[in-house]
This record gives sequence, C-alpha cells and structure tokens, in this order.
Amino acid sequence: MQTALPTNPLQEGLSARRAPEPCALVIFGATGDLTHRKLVPALYNLAHEGQLPQSFAIVGFARRPKTHDQFRAELRDAVAQFSRFQPTNPAVWDALAQATFYHQSEFADALGYQKLKTFLQELDVKRGTAGNRLFYLATAPTEFIGIIEHLGANGLVHSEQAPIASRRIIVEKPFGRSLPTAEELNHALAGAFDERQIFRIDHYLGKETVQNIVALRFANEIFEPLWNQKYVDHIQITVAESLGVEGRGGYYDGSGALRDMVQNHMMQLLSLVAMEPPTTLDGAAIHDEKVKVLRAIRPMTAEQVQQFTLRGQYARGSMAGQAVPAYREEKNVAPGSRTETFVALKLFIENWRWFGVPFYLRHGKRLPKGVAEIAIQFKAPPAVLFAAESPAPLQPNVLVLRIQPDEGIAIRMNAKVPGNELNLQPVKMDFRYGGSFGARSPEAYERLLHDAILGDSTLFTRRDEVERSWQIADAIIEGWNAGPAPSPYESGTWGPPEADRFIERDGREWRRP
Amino acid sequence: MPNNAQLETFTAGVETAVDVAQIERQLHELWQLAAESQKDPSQRQITRACLFNFIVFCETDGESEHASEVISTLTSHHPCRAIVLVAKPDVASGELSASISAHCHLAGTGQKQVCCEQIAIHASGPGVAHLGAAVLPLLESDLPTVIWWQGDFLKRLDLFRRLVAVADRVIYDTSAWTDPQSQLAALVRRITEHPRCSFVDLSWTRLGLWRRLAAEFFDEPNCRTELARIRTVDIVHGHGPGASLRALLYGCWIAAQLNWPVAEARKKIHLSAREDRDATSVGILSIAIKTDDATFSIRKNFGERTASATIDMPNACGLPRTRAFWPADDTSLLSQELDRVARHTVYEKALAVAVAVLENISR
Repeated sequence: MQTALPTNPLQEGLSARRAPEPCALVIFGATGDLTHRKLVPALYNLAHEGQLPQSFAIVGFARRPKTHDQFRAELRDAVAQFSRFQPTNPAVWDALAQATFYHQSEFADALGYQKLKTFLQELDVKRGTAGNRLFYLATAPTEFIGIIEHLGANGLVHSEQAPIASRRIIVEKPFGRSLPTAEELNHALAGAFDERQIFRIDHYLGKETVQNIVALRFANEIFEPLWNQKYVDHIQITVAESLGVEGRGGYYDGSGALRDMVQNHMMQLLSLVAMEPPTTLDGAAIHDEKVKVLRAIRPMTAEQVQQFTLRGQYARGSMAGQAVPAYREEKNVAPGSRTETFVALKLFIENWRWFGVPFYLRHGKRLPKGVAEIAIQFKAPPAVLFAAESPAPLQPNVLVLRIQPDEGIAIRMNAKVPGNELNLQPVKMDFRYGGSFGARSPEAYERLLHDAILGDSTLFTRRDEVERSWQIADAIIEGWNAGPAPSPYESGTWGPPEADRFIERDGREWRRP
Repeated sequence: MPNNAQLETFTAGVETAVDVAQIERQLHELWQLAAESQKDPSQRQITRACLFNFIVFCETDGESEHASEVISTLTSHHPCRAIVLVAKPDVASGELSASISAHCHLAGTGQKQVCCEQIAIHASGPGVAHLGAAVLPLLESDLPTVIWWQGDFLKRLDLFRRLVAVADRVIYDTSAWTDPQSQLAALVRRITEHPRCSFVDLSWTRLGLWRRLAAEFFDEPNCRTELARIRTVDIVHGHGPGASLRALLYGCWIAAQLNWPVAEARKKIHLSAREDRDATSVGILSIAIKTDDATFSIRKNFGERTASATIDMPNACGLPRTRAFWPADDTSLLSQELDRVARHTVYEKALAVAVAVLENISR
C-alpha cells in the first residue's frame, strides 16, 4: 500500500494561499442589514477572486417567509450596491446564486434546526460540502445564546462523520455588554463548541492597516529599538466618527461609546501596538502576546476613573453645513440619557516596555471627521543645540499609523528651512497605501470570512482577550455610575472642552488628525 | 525651471523631449513644481510614487507604443520609474534621444492623483552601445530593478549582461522567441550566470491555472498517494506561439516536482499537437494524468476562458471543478509577476529537466 507524501509537491511555488475546504455557511439573521451590506458582498468578492471553496453553499436562516429565489434576488441587489467589484459579473453571481439557499425558521424553534440539519445533509450530497459547517451569528445579540444552544442540542455542532474542526461559529459584535454577559456567552459557546471552533469577530482586525501594525513593527529593524518607555513619550489612539447614531439609537443608548468601540476595537489596536514580538505569526502566539498587554493594563479604582477617564455626549451642532440634533433628540434615545458618545481614557501598561508611558484613547461620534489612527509620539530631543537659533521648542517626532481613511504611515521630523538662517520646521514623510499599492485592499469582512472558512483564528479575538477587555471596561463604567453625567459637546467639534484640559494637565495635547 | 503648462503636459502623459544628460534634473524640477503647486488648493493634488525601477526593452516603434500602454495601466497598481529603451541598431543615424512623461491615476477617494514617471530613451545605430551607460544613472537607489525584455535577449547579450547586472528580476516571454526550444540550454546558462537575478518567463506564468488545477487534485491525502503511481502524463497542445514549449515545461514541471529521473520523464510524458481553433486558448488543450486506478483530467473548455478538472477514481475525492483563466494579456501577466517576490525556483527546476529531456532526445 502506498502512503501519501506529507505535503503536496505540486503546490510548491503556487500562491501560499491555502485552498479552503468545502463548506456550508449558515447565516443566522440572513435578512438583516449586516448580511446585505457586508457579508454577502464580501462573499461575492471572494467568489470573484476565486477564493471560495469549490464546494460551497450559503444558507440564510431567518424568520421571514421567503423562497430561495426571493432571497437570491435580494442578495443580488445587495451585491450590486455594496460589492467593491462593479458592475456585478453575471457568471460569478450566477454561480454564487446557485449555491445560495434560504431556510425559514424562528430562532427559538427546535424543529427549524432539525430541518436545517437535514437540509445541510442534503447539501453535502448535492453541493459536496462534506459535512463542514460555518455558522455566522448575524442576529441581534439577544438571540446568540439561544441559537448556540439549539445548534448544540440538535446535533449541528458535532458530527460522527466529520472531525471537530470542521464545525465553526462566527460571533458578531457586541460580544456581551459586560464581563458577566460576555462570560455567559462564552459559557454557552463552550458548552457546544471547542475554543478552536469559535471565531469572535472584530472587523477592525480585518483591516489591512491594522494587520500592517505587526509588519511595520517586526519586519523593520528601525522601529522596534525605539518602541518603549525610553524613547516614547506617549501614544494616542483616536477613532473619530463624524456620524451620529444613525438610526441605532435604541441599541446605542443601552451601550455607549465605551462598549461600542473602546472595549473591543480600540483595545485590540492598543494590544497590537503594545505587544511583545510573538514567537510565531500563528493565531495562538499573537493572542498570547495581546492578552499579556491587556492583563498589564493598570486597573482603576472608582476615584481613578474620575481622574483618568472623561466622557461626553454630543449636543446640537453643525456637520458639513447642516444642523444636526443633539444625541438626546435622536430617535429611540431617552430624553435624559446619560449614555456617553465620547470617551477619553488614559491607560498605563505596567510592564518593562511601557512603564510610565500614557496611552490616550479617544473616541467619539459627531466629531469633525471620520478618522482612525495610532500616533506614537516620541520624547522631545534635548533643546540645548538649537535653543539659541530656534526660539520655539523643537517638535517631537511622531509616527502615525493611519487606519482610515487614506491608510498609511507618516513620520513627523524636524528639518532645516532652506536659507542662510538655521530655522527648523517640522516636516512630514507620508506613505499612503493607495499611492504605493493601488486600491486593491480587500474589505475587512472578506479577509475575516476567508480566514474563518480556512479555520485561521489569528484575526479573531480569543476568550481571555474579550473577558479581560470587559474587566477593564466594567471598572470604568462602574466608576462612571457613581460620577457626574457626560459633559455635553457641540456636534462637529473635537469633544467637550474638558477633553483638552484632560490631556493638557499632563503637558500634552490632542492631535488634530 | 519648467512652468505650470509644462507640468500639465507632463502629468497628462504627453512625451516631452529632453536632453539625455538633463533627464534627472528635468524630472526633479517638474516634481518640485508639482509639490509647490500643492499649496494652491485650486491645483490638483499630485503625489509621485515609485516602488521599483522598471526597464522595458523594445526594438520597434510598435513594441515601444505597446510598452507605454502597458505601463500606463500597470502603474495604477505597481507604481514605478519606467525606463523604456528603444534600440534600433540597424538604423544608421547613431542618435541617442530621450523624452519624459508621467502616468497619473486617481487614488483612494479620487481627490488625489498618484503619478509615475516614464523615461524613454531611443538609440539607433552605434548609439545602441550607449544605452547601458545611459540607464544606470537613472535608476532610483534602494529600489528593486525589474527588466521586461520584449523579444529575445539572447540576441542582445552585450546590453542584456550590462542591464541584468543591476537587475533583481528579468521578465521575458519565450512565446515571442523564434524556436525557443533550441535556445533552452542557452537560457539555462544565462540563468546560472546570474544567480542574484530572478528569471521569469511569461509563457510559464500562463501555465498558472493549469498547474494549480493539477496541484489541487493531490491536496487530499488519499489522492496524493496516486502521485507515486503515475504512469503517464498526456498533454495535448495547439500549434500557437509557445504552445509546444509550454506543454513541455508543464510535463517537466511534474517530473521535476516528483523527482523523476530524465529517462522516466521521457517515458511518462507524452506530448501531442492538435489543431487549435479556440480563439481564447493559451495553447494547452488538455491534460490527463493517469495511474493504475485513476485518471486526473483537465481540459480547456472550448470558446470559454475556463478549464475544468475531473477525477475518475474509485472513492473519488472532490467534485468536478471549473476555474477561469487569468487574463493572458501582457499587463495582467506582468501584474501577476510583480505581485510575486520570490524567485521562480520551480520554473528553473522544470526548465532544467526540459533541457535534459531535449538533450536525451537529441542523443
């Protein structure tokens, strides 16, 4: 009997992209906004680039009665509107449509899951999906635990024919709204799935520039020696949104800026920028380093919350020449709401590398523009040499990792102004992805869906990361509950006036991205 | 110092004649003017981008025009300093002349233009001998240098050797060579002479989908066992440019990857030619890899830019697959290759086996 070679020699030199296994993707909440705006356009884009498995099926699971063809027609419209490949390629879409099905059921109806199981088994034969399943929870978070339990109870997670790793689940945000609720959700997941089968999505991790943080830091020798308390004065992480709650007032009012953005996305950015070099680039090694950073964040007492955090709420103002309402005037927002739409934090990471370096995190809605960036501000150079010639203090060097828009990297440095006098002026060296590599970055959801189909969890969050992030967020929220209401700020400004004082008392100032 | 009108002409892609010795200075002044104009918000925002030096060798005006068209598209995803060399040794005038232009593309949100410069140097008669010296000072430092040699570089070895000495990669297309099979041994010698430089044959690039489809047959462990039991590889090809060499390289790729001795490769690889009426074909029409118990087949679907792969085997692993070919025009093939960074060691191994097989036949 012949034994197989350990690797396929004919794959040598071909793209390192792994071939995804056959798979049936079941989307719970298939008629929702996320499915139409993000998931299905991302799947179409993957199909367009030939990155979906040959044997593939999409099953939409939702409450509304609908035929397969009605579902396909809706998704076609979504692809036409939201795909980055325009116009829709009929051949690519037709192939994807043939692989797309609709399954109507209440999320709490056990019979619906049993029928789903039978239907998926039929697809295994018809479409060759080989018993592999990827479940995507794109419903309201209140449905998550029920769906997970039904999947487990109705034999959809474990298969005698297929190995354990071929059944996976993607959980959309928000992953809980506090540590206890996140633990409850993790507990439910652990009751049905192994941790290796669980993919907690944080779409920020699917962004090219976020992935580039690791490349920038560890593929360039010039940065890492400076990446510590000896040279870095402080780090500012800003995620600013010009939009308001945009029809999500009901959800947002029960959540707020800290839960919606800081606990997940910004904590991920912080851990990537602050982590130690991982031993390898595999998921576990990176997760291990990220969670070490989160564990090293100095805990805050209730008093320290008042000192190291600030929250605000947008009032009326003007955006792009249009008057906009106050947060409390938004639909489904309580008139006396104390929910924050702006948050500023000062965090310390208590390890050798970052001891004494403040990490300022700032996020808000209805700020002047939508921008996300990480700015590493280095210590100012000694002023002795140029003090006589240049009366203004020298500007410290700043390295900015721009996440959106205009993804790229910029460095601010001092240069002599041409002329007979020794005048110094800060100049910016600017690298833009769009300029250097063209506009070909995949959407975050494309990368994440592709990785989940492959079973690569590197760009997803692990249980311990999520729970530690919630631990930090909960302590802040608890401190806020005992403190004053959020400070109002005019829409279209960079937050409440207190935000400037918050950082100025440290002798620093916010960047104007 | 150039004026705004000259900057407009330059960034509109219109070629402007320039003294060969003044190329760098003229470009510097134009980009400086573009940078100064950024202070005026009414002016277009222009950024110069350059990731590598791209030397393109041409011998006719037709090749030169084609090169400009390719560079114009290519620079949207692969910003570079393009240096187009047009050598006409048979023209007696002995001139060396140059022109500059830019290729600009809207980037990101469409508010900014990213521009790349193109330098064209025309040499005729004895002037061709000066091309190498004219190019070297124009290379951007600290950036890789890629040569795209249209035509057969073995015929211009003096200039080729001079340029390849500073190149990281040479891209060529043996489909355009006259009788490339007779030149394979010479090609291997050139590759061996320049171990620092990666050699890329676009004819090999065209085999990408054929290789991928064959490789995917053997991803499954129970199919992979069949690799050790291959009895024959039957390749049917057309008569189009480069088709027979591609078929040979394909068979030799399998032989090289499976470490077949030359005699075994000769015995197992069967090439046959057939009339190819398919306008969308790149030359190979079908492949059948046969073992005692299985046949792994790939065939080009007539009239379509697709190929289908099927397995005939008890307990078959995998359904029939149909995949679309990557466009086979020069821009798409070059774009594919510029996305790669690794040396084509697999190609070099296949090429070495092909040379050995051909030598074996001739003996």
